Amino acid sequence: MSTVEMVSLMIIVVLIVGWRLTWLATRVDRAHVRAERTWAALDAALVRRAERALELVLMPGIDPATALLVADAANAALDPQLSRQDRERTESDLSHLLDAIGPMLPSESSRLESERARANICRRLHNDAVATALSLRRRYSVRLLQLAGHAAEPRPFEMADGLSQPVIVRAAEN
Amino acid sequence: MTGVRGSLRVGIVCPYSFDVPGGVQNHVLGLARYLRQAGHRPYVLAPGQLGPATDELDVEGFASVGAAMPVRYNGSVARVNFGPLSAARVTRWLRKGKFDLLHIHEPITPSISLLALWAAEQPVVATFHAATPRSRSMQLAGGVLRGAIEKIDAGIAVSESARNVVVQHLGRDAVVIPNGIQFNDFARRQDLCAELVDIGRPADSGRTRLIFLGRLDEPRKGLDVLLAAVPLIMKARPHLELIVAGQGSRSLPEWCCSLGMISDETKIALLRSADIFVAPHLARESFGIVLLEAMASGAPIVASELPSFLDVLGSPRDEQRLGEVFAAGNAGALAAAVLQVLDRPDPLRVARAQQAARRYDWSVVGATVLAVYRAALSAAPARWAERRIG
Repeated sequence: MSTVEMVSLMIIVVLIVGWRLTWLATRVDRAHVRAERTWAALDAALVRRAERALELVLMPGIDPATALLVADAANAALDPQLSRQDRERTESDLSHLLDAIGPMLPSESSRLESERARANICRRLHNDAVATALSLRRRYSVRLLQLAGHAAEPRPFEMADGLSQPVIVRAAEN
Repeated sequence: MTGVRGSLRVGIVCPYSFDVPGGVQNHVLGLARYLRQAGHRPYVLAPGQLGPATDELDVEGFASVGAAMPVRYNGSVARVNFGPLSAARVTRWLRKGKFDLLHIHEPITPSISLLALWAAEQPVVATFHAATPRSRSMQLAGGVLRGAIEKIDAGIAVSESARNVVVQHLGRDAVVIPNGIQFNDFARRQDLCAELVDIGRPADSGRTRLIFLGRLDEPRKGLDVLLAAVPLIMKARPHLELIVAGQGSRSLPEWCCSLGMISDETKIALLRSADIFVAPHLARESFGIVLLEAMASGAPIVASELPSFLDVLGSPRDEQRLGEVFAAGNAGALAAAVLQVLDRPDPLRVARAQQAARRYDWSVVGATVLAVYRAALSAAPARWAERRIG
C-alpha cells in the first residue's frame, strides 16, 4: 500500500468517525432539550392539576373537612420553594388524597380528572425523554468525549399518579 | 376548549394500504373522523385508494402514495410502500401540508411511516399497534434506527402488550390508549336486527349460532381451530350453525355458512344475532377490536388466550372476567369453553362486557389521543407550541 493510499484511507476513516460523532452529539443535544421541555410541560400540568384541586374547595356541597384536606394538599404541592424530592412527595400525597375522596366528588369535578390524566401523560413523556438522555449519556464515546457538555444530568420525576391505565380524559371537557 | 383558534392540522401517516381492510386502517379512519368532529383538520397519507363510501374524510383530506406492494411482514402479508419515489412523495406531502403535528402509525415498519419519521420536522406522535416483538428487526432498529426512534415526541401503544414491546425493544415508553369503536352503532342501533342478515337459508331460530369474523385463509386468524372444534361441540349440541364473514375463500363444511366481505350494518346485525362470538386467533393479534365490537353488541365471548385479548377480557383466573378464554390452538379447549357458555348463560357478565366496551368508544379514546397531542405540543419548541390546544 502506497503512502497516498494510506493517507487517503486515514482521511476517510477520520471523516466517518467525525460524522458519527457529530451525529451522536446532535442526538445527545436533542435528548437533553427534550428532557428540559417535557419537564417544563410536566411542571405546568402539575400546577394546573393542583389549581383545579383547589377549585374543589369552592364547590357547593363539599364538606368542610374534605375541603380543608384538599386545600392543604394542593397548597403544599403549589409551594414554589420545594426541592425536587419534596415536590415528588407532595404531588404523590395530592394524588393519594384525590383518589381517596374521588368517589365523593360531584360530577363537575371531571375537569380535575382531565387535568390529572394530562399530568399523567406529561409525566410519561418526561420520564421517557429522561430515559433516552440517560442511555445516551451512558455510552462510552459520549462519556469519553464529554459530548453532553455541561448539560445537567436529567432525572426522572417519580410520583404516584393515582390513575389506573389506560388514562381516560372525559369527553365532555373537550 | 378547542375552538377554531385551536384547530390543529394533523398529518396522519398510515403504512398499510386502504385497498384492503385492516385494523390499523380502520383506526386511522376512526381517528380522522373524531378529529374532524372535534374541529381539527386531519390529513391522511397512505398507500392505495380510499373507498368511495367513507364519510370519515374529505377527498382533499386523503393523499395516496400510490399502489402498494405486498410484502411479508409480522407474519402476514402487508401492503406497504417504500423506495425513493415514495420517499419523495412523503417529503412533498409533509412540505405542502404544513402540519402542526404528525401522527405516525407503526413507525418502525419498512414503509412510508418510517420515511415520514425520518423527514419530520414537526412534533411527532407515534402509535405502536403490533404486540409481537419482531426481535430481529427490532434489534436492527435498535442500532440503525435509533436516531429515528428518538425523534418520536410521544409514543402511544394500543395495549399493555404493545407497550411492553416498545419498552423492551426500543427503550422508549408509551401511553396506553386502546383502539376506538363506535360504541353506539353496536349497542344502540335498534334498526339493525338479525333478520337483515341473509345467510342464504331459511331463518331457523332454533339453531345455536356461532360467529367468526376475520380472514378465512389466514392461519393466524385461527378458523381451522374453530372448524375442528365445532364437531366436538355438535356432539352435545347438534342444532348448531357457524357463520363466518371475512376476506378469502376456502372450502367449508356444510354446517358452516360464509358471508364473504360484509358491510358494517350487516356486521352489527350479525353480532346482535350471535349466541357466541368466537375469536380463535393463534398469535400476533395486536388489538382485539372485533372482540370489543362483539362485546358492545352484547354477544357472549369465547376467545383464545392471547395477551391482547386478556388485556380486554381480564385474566382467566379472574372471577369478573368478561368472557371465556382457552389455550390458543386447542380445539378441545375451545369446544369446552363454548359448551360452558352455552350451558350456563350469564347475562350479567354480558352486561358487564358491554359496559366495559363503552370505555373504548371514540369519544373517550379520541379525547385521550388529543390529550397526548396537547402534551407533545406543550413540550415542543416555541414555534410549534403556539399551536397547543385548549
